[in-house]
Amino acid sequence: MSKIELKNVTLNYAERKSVFTALDDVSFSVKAGEFVSIIGASGCGKSSLLSLLEGLNFPTQGVITIDGQEITGTGEDRAVVFQHYSLFPWMTTRGNVIYGIKQVNKKLTNQELTAIADDYLEKVGLSGFENKYPLQLSGGMQQRAAIARALAMSPSILLMDEPFGAVDAKNRKILQELLLELWENSEEKKTVVFVTHDIDEAILLSDRIIMMTSNPGRIKKEIPIDFPRPRTGSHLLESKKYLNFRKELLATFFNDISEKIGGEEVAL
Amino acid sequence: MKDKLKKQLNITNLLFIVFLLIQLLPEQYSKETYEINIIIFVIGIQVIYLLLSFLNKKEEKMETIQDIIAISYLLIIIWQLLTSKSAILNELLFPAPGIVIEQFIADLPKILEGIQSSIFIIIQGYLLALVTAIPLGLAAGWHIRFGNSFLYVSKFFGSIPPIVYIPYAIALLPAFRDASVFVIFAASFWPILGATMAGVFNIEKKILDSAKTLNVGKLSMLFHVMLPAALPEILMGCSQGLGISFILLTSAEMIGGKTGMGYYIKYYSDFGDFTRIVVGIIVLGVVVSILTYFFNLLQSYLLRWRQ
Repeated sequence: MSKIELKNVTLNYAERKSVFTALDDVSFSVKAGEFVSIIGASGCGKSSLLSLLEGLNFPTQGVITIDGQEITGTGEDRAVVFQHYSLFPWMTTRGNVIYGIKQVNKKLTNQELTAIADDYLEKVGLSGFENKYPLQLSGGMQQRAAIARALAMSPSILLMDEPFGAVDAKNRKILQELLLELWENSEEKKTVVFVTHDIDEAILLSDRIIMMTSNPGRIKKEIPIDFPRPRTGSHLLESKKYLNFRKELLATFFNDISEKIGGEEVAL
Repeated sequence: MKDKLKKQLNITNLLFIVFLLIQLLPEQYSKETYEINIIIFVIGIQVIYLLLSFLNKKEEKMETIQDIIAISYLLIIIWQLLTSKSAILNELLFPAPGIVIEQFIADLPKILEGIQSSIFIIIQGYLLALVTAIPLGLAAGWHIRFGNSFLYVSKFFGSIPPIVYIPYAIALLPAFRDASVFVIFAASFWPILGATMAGVFNIEKKILDSAKTLNVGKLSMLFHVMLPAALPEILMGCSQGLGISFILLTSAEMIGGKTGMGYYIKYYSDFGDFTRIVVGIIVLGVVVSILTYFFNLLQSYLLRWRQ
């Protein structure tokens, strides 16, 4: 049985006089322990899709199940990393992680909580920054802390909504490899749904890419990525297979965008 | 050493010397003006200032202190020039600084008692407003439908100058103390409530989403997420409420009180004792400034997580 399953999911937003269809008849499934990226241009509904998985929003039609159970709201089985504001700015880095752990395990003593939090902060390379407030950290470090909090809550599913979208290019590479390392080396592999608009990021990280097209948001193509793991960015760049594959993907991706532009008669 | 001397060549020290020179001018007021008091006072400040400037290494903080002292010197110089040193102003209406200090020292026990009484009343009324308005504001801000109508209600009540509650309060609560606590409560309640609700409305939606995905419980959501997220705005309402409280209490004391600095000023104004009126005004200003200073300290501690 698949971990996550979407069956004919449609999501409409009511606008003043019309209805905006953000997602139109979307179906796919994710296996346990699989890393799936959802990629598409902005406005294709990929973040809306993730909000359904987060349990913050509900489909107009269709069903989403996790382990066979329909989603009725947010849940302890899922942890989320957003692009911004995942962390609470009034809590220290350690305070944020502890607050997260407390929501899933209320019995731990303060000492145990601190130990677990510091352990995860060390894993993401934030030792020495435990008592800093998020606004005192760089964007990349904030995302590290958000990942630490998500992992410390030991969910079986990790939902990531363009988590590295606001991080500079160099730090983004470092964070991608950190995420890969944490994911590959965890005892029980987490199921990850990762939203991005960066093709290289998607190829590097994923077992499978789901490419979406916009207006209305639909699945355009599902592409399995079978480059051997463990992967690193520099390693991939050396392989010819990767370069060809990337070219093909980019063509499919941009083909969609230019179609849209042509269809709407937008003058460039 | 030369640098240190050069550093002392500043406006504060220059004004201090100007002040000393002015003391050479003959007095023009007919009554005793106790000039020695203001001379001792200014020399005392100058000694403290010099000690601070030699001990303190933080340049920026010292600059502010230095400027505040310079402005105080300037005001004292102008005050003296207009009163005892020239008699440009009427002697009965405008006492010289020295005599104000003399009166202050003589009345000190009465003044301290008055300040204590005022501050206790303010603390009671203000705390009552804090513990009711903040939870109510958080809850109202959360329930959008309830909150929208509530925002109008609070705007309506907030726009009424709270001074109009004084006659009612005095009629209903015969003890002046209780009536004053009620008026302070009524005055600070609405700005704090309004600021809390506005603070909750303005919380970044993604912060709330992030909290929801953590499966935060209702109480934790209110007090660990919404309260700190709205705190910057809540504190603005609190500071506004504190300011209104002082204005109101002083008015209440002037109208119906038997204690406090408002009463002190009103009582002596009936006798045309302007020296004591000036004492009362200065004491009030100093007390409110000190309270505001501590409020700001608390505020920057509570908001230390902002850059």
